[in-house]
Amino acid sequence: MLEISDLTVAYGGVIALDRVSLSVPEGSITAVLGANGAGKTTLVRTVSGLVTPREGSVRLEGAELVGRTPEAIARLGVGHVPEGHGIISELTVDENLRLGGLWRRDRADQRVAIEEAYELFPPLLARCAMPAANLSGGERQMLSIGRALVARPVALLLDEPSLGLATALLAQIMERLSGLVAERRLSVLLIEQNARSALSVADQAVVLSLGRVALRDRADRLASDDALRHAYLGF
Amino acid sequence: MSGRGAAAAFLRRSTLVRHGLFFLAVAAILWALTWFVFDPFTNNNVAGVAIYAIAAAGLTVLTGLNGQVSLGHGALMMIGAYTTSVLLQWHPDLPMILMLLASIATTGVAGAIIGIAGARLRGPYLAGATLSLAVALPQVPTHFASLFGGNQGISVPPAAPPDALTSVTPEQWFAWICILAAVITFFLLANLVSSTTGRRLQMVRDNEVAARLAGVNVARTQVLAFVISAVCAGLSGSLFAYWISLTSPSGFTLTLSLSLLTVVVIGGLGSLTGAVIGSFIIVYLPAWTSGFASSANLPSNVANNVPLAIYGIVLIVAILLFPRGIAGGAASITRLATNTFRSRRQTSTLPGTTAPPQQ
Amino acid sequence: MRLFAIYTVAGVVNGMVYAAVALALVMIWRATRIINYAQGAMGMFTTYIALVVIQHGVGYWAAFAIALAAGLVLGAVTERVLIRPVESQPPLNAVILSLGVLILLEAVAPMLFGGQTQSFPAPFSRIDIAAGSTQLYISPFDLFSIGAVLVAMLVLFVVFQRTSLGLRMRAAAFNPEISRILGIRVGRMLTIGWALAALLGALAAILAAPAIFLYSNNMDEVLVFGFTGAIIGGLESPVGAVVGALGVGLALSYVSGYVGSDLAPLGGLVMLIAVLMVRPQGLFSFRGHRQV
Repeated sequence: MLEISDLTVAYGGVIALDRVSLSVPEGSITAVLGANGAGKTTLVRTVSGLVTPREGSVRLEGAELVGRTPEAIARLGVGHVPEGHGIISELTVDENLRLGGLWRRDRADQRVAIEEAYELFPPLLARCAMPAANLSGGERQMLSIGRALVARPVALLLDEPSLGLATALLAQIMERLSGLVAERRLSVLLIEQNARSALSVADQAVVLSLGRVALRDRADRLASDDALRHAYLGF
Repeated sequence: MSGRGAAAAFLRRSTLVRHGLFFLAVAAILWALTWFVFDPFTNNNVAGVAIYAIAAAGLTVLTGLNGQVSLGHGALMMIGAYTTSVLLQWHPDLPMILMLLASIATTGVAGAIIGIAGARLRGPYLAGATLSLAVALPQVPTHFASLFGGNQGISVPPAAPPDALTSVTPEQWFAWICILAAVITFFLLANLVSSTTGRRLQMVRDNEVAARLAGVNVARTQVLAFVISAVCAGLSGSLFAYWISLTSPSGFTLTLSLSLLTVVVIGGLGSLTGAVIGSFIIVYLPAWTSGFASSANLPSNVANNVPLAIYGIVLIVAILLFPRGIAGGAASITRLATNTFRSRRQTSTLPGTTAPPQQ
Repeated sequence: MRLFAIYTVAGVVNGMVYAAVALALVMIWRATRIINYAQGAMGMFTTYIALVVIQHGVGYWAAFAIALAAGLVLGAVTERVLIRPVESQPPLNAVILSLGVLILLEAVAPMLFGGQTQSFPAPFSRIDIAAGSTQLYISPFDLFSIGAVLVAMLVLFVVFQRTSLGLRMRAAAFNPEISRILGIRVGRMLTIGWALAALLGALAAILAAPAIFLYSNNMDEVLVFGFTGAIIGGLESPVGAVVGALGVGLALSYVSGYVGSDLAPLGGLVMLIAVLMVRPQGLFSFRGHRQV
């Protein structure tokens, strides 16, 4: 369970997040939607520790994350798939994957986790010795997600995974991810501008507007309520 | 408006006149002190302070105003010193003013060459290239020993006052020349700093891309800054040759360049006043520390290195304690603390007043 | 022909010493975007420590190991205490800071170890080997120097490319932010990087000491030549740094031999300027023209 309470983030004089609260139960996906600049990426970066909030708390299974370094937060079980996938192009595909779990002590389980990542995303296996720079957009996204999963996280933060991906491929990836989420009881925070695809796979939805929570609802209700959807998401 | 009001308004508007009056006053005061008050030993030190101040001023304009780190300033001084020394060796009767101008010319040309070569270099790359210059150039006189006197160097006769001025001692005369040279240099630099050119230098330092977009020829500005600093170094080097009476490679080691950079940082990068403070430090710190060292009975290997150790410690501590004050802009060590407090309260920064953004 | 062989061997031997320094500079640059101008002086300091140890009766090899260990410690402490704060500041701050360390080390060394130039022993003979009646223009110590640097490079290569520590260090250098969110302690990786770089610097200094003697600024020229080699190689490429440094060593050796030994540094400067003007990103960098 990932609990965010009254999170407030300010850059200089600008308030990027204003007392945002939401919780992500185990084994569920919470979509965070909203226009550009609404604060979605700031939210994710704050949870993973790259940004320090002015106020508020983020708890993972009861443990407070605010104030810890990003490395410490990652080691507590937070997997962050950053915007633009964030693979390290100078390293090979396999090295990128291995990177995800290097901090773990259990070497044997690490190897198993890497195998599982290759099973989840077979195209990666074929390219495992290639420099990651040679991957296509979709493959990079797979690599980024696979890398986050190798650490066997408890919570997963996905920042705009749909960017640059063909719809069919995105649907495929999200479908596999959903299976994993249920199986491993992951708490997933899914940041998306592509509300349509996010709503199709999420359980809850939160709409951010100018740093505040504008709407909170079940994903299927938001998707089916035309008036609501139109007002908040524009489609 | 009353007469006095009009004069005050005129002074406020005309920087040139204001600077001129100020430096005239400074020169007059110093002349009086050297003539009436100071003994020959102090006059010699005054000359030294003036000489280093000229060099430091050039360096502070280059590194402080224009953001180009030069570790080769000592090498440029060497060019000035050797120009004068070699010419004097051929024709010992050449007038000093000619020697000063010759040194300025040669070092200015060298500065132009280095500036052009270094125009595309930034930060650590330029520092490394000038470091190479500082290490390499002192070897040239050693190699071309017949021309440059090798390791023993060339001895330079001290400057003598003209026969007409019988009551003026050589130390006073030389101190006056150095003071005059320094006052003229600072006058010119002060006007440069507050002129459009000076602003252009700082623009390039603060944000090259923005400067280029504003129509500033960045490369030309960088080269100009180098030439200015080289001219100062050349003048300083020429006077330096007269001051120590012996021009040899050992007087222009990397240590000189590093010391100059250190005291310019201490005095405040970009600050002309800081250059004067720095020159006082270079001349007097070794004397003070050796006095302290001998009274504490410290051996010579310790005593001789105390100034350098202090430079190193001060540089390290200054960067660690006042990181925002160092990167350009007038910020002496004493003002860094207030700047740090002031900029913590500020929510916006005005261009040119506090530390610039990413270099 | 004989002279050419002598100069070539000398160039290679010196080049390997410069290569160690160049490699150290490149390692630190890739990790922290800082040029450590104090790299040479740090090596001078650790060599002095070795000398003191030897003067107290300890054998050369123990002193050698102690110098390298001292390098590790010095590099780690410098990064953790002095450099860490400036890693995220404008580049000018790091330049001045490392110059401060350079000045401080070169001032403290004579205070601690005496101001006069001292000689430093070599573990092997420095007389050229004679194989029967033919003169080989290389000495046992030359062979050792070349070998030691090669071994160090090999070890570093294995560490960086084949171990998980090396993978973490590379990741931390390529992309510190991403590495953090993958649980990598980037700060610790930087400290280890500086420690290993200082190890290389200590090795270079102790190998150079028998020839250039030991005094406070004996490593100034070595630093400059190593830096030149690294720049020629492109600062991003370890291989480039080594090749560049070897090139510098050879070129300087020829200039020194055929023209005059005082002009070698000037020759190095000319090389540096030439490369910087023609191909500022270095000969081995393939990232396109970068704002140097």
